[in-house]
Amino acid sequence: MVLIDVKKYEDTAMRSTAMHGINTISTVKIALFLVAVPLLLFLSLLLGPTRVMLPDLDTPVGKAIMALRFNRLVMGMLVGSALSVSGAVFQAILRNPLAEPYVLGVSGGAGLGATVAILFGAVAAMPLSLPVIAFIAALATLFLVYGIASKGSGGVPSVYSLILSGVIVSAVCSSLIMFFVSMAGVEGLHNVIWWMLGNLQPPPANHRFIAALFIAFGIGGAWMLAPKLNALTLGREMAHYQGINADMVIMSGLFCATLTAATAVSIAGMIGFVGLIVPHVTRAIFGPDHKFLIPLSAVTGGTFLTVCDAFARTVLAPIEVPVGVVTALAGGPFFLLILRRKMKRAWIG
Amino acid sequence: MEHAALTFERVKAGYKDRMVLDDLSFQVREGEFISLIGPNGCGKSTLLKTAAALLRPFEGRVLLFGKDIRSMRPAVRARHIGVVPQKVESPMAFTVGQIVMNGRTATAGFLRGVSDEDYVVIERSMIYTNVLHLKDRYFMELSGGEQQRAILAMVLAQEPRILMLDESIAHLDINHRYEVLRILRRINRENRMTIFLVSHDLALTAEVADRLILMSEGRIVSEGRPEQVLVSEILDRVYDCELQVQRDPVTGSIHVSGMLEDFNGSTKKHKSVHVIAGGGTGIELFRRFSLQGFSITSGVLNAMDSDAEAARALGVDAVLEKPFSAIGEDAFQQAAAKAENADFLVVSDVPFGPGNLVNLRLAKDALKAGKEVWIAEGSTDRDYTEGKQAAAVVEQLLADGAKTWTNLHDLMKELKGGKERQNSKGKSQK
Repeated sequence: MVLIDVKKYEDTAMRSTAMHGINTISTVKIALFLVAVPLLLFLSLLLGPTRVMLPDLDTPVGKAIMALRFNRLVMGMLVGSALSVSGAVFQAILRNPLAEPYVLGVSGGAGLGATVAILFGAVAAMPLSLPVIAFIAALATLFLVYGIASKGSGGVPSVYSLILSGVIVSAVCSSLIMFFVSMAGVEGLHNVIWWMLGNLQPPPANHRFIAALFIAFGIGGAWMLAPKLNALTLGREMAHYQGINADMVIMSGLFCATLTAATAVSIAGMIGFVGLIVPHVTRAIFGPDHKFLIPLSAVTGGTFLTVCDAFARTVLAPIEVPVGVVTALAGGPFFLLILRRKMKRAWIG
Repeated sequence: MEHAALTFERVKAGYKDRMVLDDLSFQVREGEFISLIGPNGCGKSTLLKTAAALLRPFEGRVLLFGKDIRSMRPAVRARHIGVVPQKVESPMAFTVGQIVMNGRTATAGFLRGVSDEDYVVIERSMIYTNVLHLKDRYFMELSGGEQQRAILAMVLAQEPRILMLDESIAHLDINHRYEVLRILRRINRENRMTIFLVSHDLALTAEVADRLILMSEGRIVSEGRPEQVLVSEILDRVYDCELQVQRDPVTGSIHVSGMLEDFNGSTKKHKSVHVIAGGGTGIELFRRFSLQGFSITSGVLNAMDSDAEAARALGVDAVLEKPFSAIGEDAFQQAAAKAENADFLVVSDVPFGPGNLVNLRLAKDALKAGKEVWIAEGSTDRDYTEGKQAAAVVEQLLADGAKTWTNLHDLMKELKGGKERQNSKGKSQK
């Protein structure tokens, strides 16, 4: 009655060993990856505006320098992995190569919240309020976008209605930001723009801890969804036919992706490029299976951002270049080089 | 009691503002090979979506092996029913092996992972559908037929008991279509898997299916063995066109075709018709008759008249008189010769005046020669001769056995019918 009677084959000792290879990735690549990542991270610890490669850890100054660099490394890993995983999930659910962490209006919402908070003095009065307000505004925007999209398509929102309403809400938010900025004084203007360009100045420790918790939760959740995300790339209908609660997967995926993106934005401002490109590059190298793609993008994105940040604080020291500038400027050509040969593996459809 | 594999109980289903399935009930027994046919938009896809719980019925129930589909968990449902949609695309570079593995996702779960058993099932499915050699190729780079087989393997890896296919073989080449059908028939025979094939190809369907279900406008019009369902009386009505059903005397296979064969250019011997028209009243007649494969003559027409132009364009053999002139004896004799060779004579709703009144004499001669003459109704209103001479002639013709026609559709039916003419008389009135 069932198509394949497994027991029958167990008796004859038939094993489909050939099949085991279908969802593994090259061990050579993984080995190289595992060597490269710690090296790059170590390199980033050696770079800093003081131009001291290895500060003397016995002196308090050296210790402080190292602690600062280490904190920046942690921030880079957190934010980079959050943005990359978020992008990977959005690209899978929306089946769109241009999807990125900010596609559902997270950046617009957070940016608007932050702008208002900075310009109307909330931040000056209480510095801690900035990430909180940005985070809340980001989530509020997501709900707004989701609500509009689901109303438009009657019930569960379609992929296209999500993208469309996300783009519209983002545009409205950016216009409002520009309006506020144009009204603002020089001091406020500088603060807003600096925030929007993104930077990895570590927030207070407890803050970082909560952010790390959110991001870990989001990435973990996304990873749990990995096999279902694979199925979902074949479309919502097909996923449903395969016995997957597609709407549930879409909603939890969107939630995880937005949570990590909003958290990243709230602690580091808007850092572009990472969330869009890192998933593509990771797919190009390691293939599209989300079971590998999600953890590997997290590590790739984190490492990439950490290294970019190390350059950002070093090249024009003592001036710090916004890391968002370095990501695209330095990362762009590098990733293009990889993608040029493997564009097909990054996105085929 | 053994439950039917799939049961629809008075199901009403559809979309937000449009009901598609209208009080639908049917049963599919386990191991059957069913084919669902019907014109576009009749609700085939809606039925399939409802059966797979993608759409929730407004009323009624859908049962899978006796269990209400709504009470099933998605993973359990997937082991009962698998669906192969028309086209599946993945924007990412998954290999065929990875695609087929999706079939095990719902059962595997994240924690348990993919076990040896899963791999055996995956391999068997790929062997069945002959895609094992493609396992490391990118799915999106395969040909349409290979993709379809890979998707079939993926759905088979779910180990469903019912397999539904949504016109998924429609766009394949004939060789690939037969390959997929052979696979389906094999799993149907060997594994007693119930197959539910939604299809456009009536003949192909008839070849493989045990039973056909014919749908129209959300209802089941007919169901039964192919030769019971594929009869032209039912199909004509459902598809709203004329179809020919032929049975091959040797193989017993059924062949359904439209009227393409009767078009111009076919080698068949056609009936011929002589058309009396003018002033543009003949254009549609010429077009219809030539579509139906009649050989057409016409006349007498005035040169440069729009009918004369149409006749020239459609290759109708027409006798012409000088523009805006009364019909002369020469032309009339030529036309009479042509009318004599025709099987029928049809008079369009052309207005009659002193210039063309003589054309009605052709009709009179034809009647005398024992030919059918069809005259458009309402000739009195179009009579511009002095003293309504034309109307009088027509009246006389009708008394002598000429018939009237009102619309082209019925006229075509009548003239083509031949031996069916008697019973189709009633049909054409509807």
